[in-house]
Amino acid sequence: MDKKVKEIIARVLNVDIGMITDDLSSGDIPEWDSVGNLAIISTIEQELNLEFPLEDLFDLTSVQSIVDEVNQLTHA
Amino acid sequence: MLDAPHSPLLCNIAKHAVEYPEKVALVEGDLRITYRQLALRIESVAAYLHAMGVKSGDRILLAAQKEVEFTYVYFAAHLIGAVNVVVDSAAPVDRLSYIISTVNPVLILGEGIDNAPCPCVPLRGNPFAAIGGDRKIVPQRINGDAVADIMFTTGTTGLPKGVCLSHENIAGSAGNTNAFIGTTADDIEALALPLSHSFGLGRLRCVFSVGATLVLVGNFANLKSFFNILEKEKVTGFGMVPAVWQYIKRISGRRITRFAGQLKYIEIGSAALPVEDKHLLMELFPDTRLCMHYGLTEASRAMFIEFHEQENRLDSIGQPSSPLVEACVMDDKGQAKAAGIDGEICVRGNMVTKTYLLPDDNHDAFHGAWFRTGDWGHCDTDGYYYLTGRKKELINVGGEKVSPETIEDAIKSVGVADCACVGVQDPNGMLGEVPKAYLKKSENCLELNDIKRRVAQLLPPHEVPALWEWVDFIPRTDSGKIQRLKLKQ
Repeated sequence: MDKKVKEIIARVLNVDIGMITDDLSSGDIPEWDSVGNLAIISTIEQELNLEFPLEDLFDLTSVQSIVDEVNQLTHA
Repeated sequence: MLDAPHSPLLCNIAKHAVEYPEKVALVEGDLRITYRQLALRIESVAAYLHAMGVKSGDRILLAAQKEVEFTYVYFAAHLIGAVNVVVDSAAPVDRLSYIISTVNPVLILGEGIDNAPCPCVPLRGNPFAAIGGDRKIVPQRINGDAVADIMFTTGTTGLPKGVCLSHENIAGSAGNTNAFIGTTADDIEALALPLSHSFGLGRLRCVFSVGATLVLVGNFANLKSFFNILEKEKVTGFGMVPAVWQYIKRISGRRITRFAGQLKYIEIGSAALPVEDKHLLMELFPDTRLCMHYGLTEASRAMFIEFHEQENRLDSIGQPSSPLVEACVMDDKGQAKAAGIDGEICVRGNMVTKTYLLPDDNHDAFHGAWFRTGDWGHCDTDGYYYLTGRKKELINVGGEKVSPETIEDAIKSVGVADCACVGVQDPNGMLGEVPKAYLKKSENCLELNDIKRRVAQLLPPHEVPALWEWVDFIPRTDSGKIQRLKLKQ
């Protein structure tokens, strides 16, 4: 699942997958702006058929936090 | 210090450097630059530019980056009379190539510019220290109406249009804006808007013009980090586009209200904001000046409305921003229309450009000194202006103006018989408008998903159509122009 999430982030931001490290955070690269962040959230929700709880969105600020949240939601 | 009578902005910075030299002008992370340091570094970088052979009237291509070095170069160019062409280095290669070939820069400063036809120096890593240069530069005799910046907008024909802004224009806009908002030297502003846009760059000029403190922030994506900066730096104001407000609401709920007591002002602009959001902002920020501008790169901050003061006019775009700015609703021949009658909104004043870079772009752009905005609307009997439509067909995606022709060219390049793009309301309610593509099938046409994937590789994310529809034909006039209004209806 980690790989799949990173692939989605790289594809949505149109950057090389090598840039998508665990500690990369929103705002760290110009491509990951607010529009990019929304696109990441909606694409993950669509492709992985899940829904992020609204109250969690504020804390999804890094690749690692998104991966952790997806793992939690898919194993719940 | 900063001998530049042609530049009111530099004169102001010099004044601040003398009157309160140790006041912090600029913050980037842990770095703090005082007004004295700012003035000295502007002089030092001006000497560097001089040593690099940059002369008065020469053009420098400056890739906008949220770094202190950008500020030094921007004002250093003004000091020696050179012209800044501020670009987004992440812009599509075609756009950058067009801009470079049109302006013929003598020097490029910033990363991400490939195949540069002139020396190209990265801004990161303080390149100015290595070369040094004589810090005493000979003051230039430059007129205030000389061009200070060339900003490229999205043209309706698809080609970017260079807007020439004089030293008086940019200082005029800053003065009008500061007077309306009430920004003072005591303010601390967080700047998360892109500097390659008129709004963000204008905020930078406003802050230094009045002697306040500017805190550079990458962007709004990481709201947790943005809120931490608001708290740590005791920020009193910031600017945002309506799409950012939608983003703040969706991602952070009402967390931002904990800063309501410290925020003196929020400037909003670049796209329409629904009236219900204006009411919500008023409720959440009862003591904050909520100032929304209407303007264009060619006529920055032409009008303003403050939500609390003009609560009964929230459906308007307000009134001219200062006594130095006038607006008028005109017909195609430049005759004023009566109150309540729709026409083209035209503006004139100290911040209005006198010319585009290419003379051809001036065609139909002015009625004398009046700049034709291309927006349709009317003025009521109390002098408030209302937008009712847009003559130009640009799509406003969260404040980013997108040419439909650019998208159409990309779609056609992947193989469809014909296509047309229009702006439609964002079904997710976030971005205001989003592009919608209408496609006519060709023989051996790709499947829609393949078209989408290929177009996404050709365009920046905000230009990729959010909605797609197959149609039997694209409506066109006899002369072949796409009738986009018909598609919108």
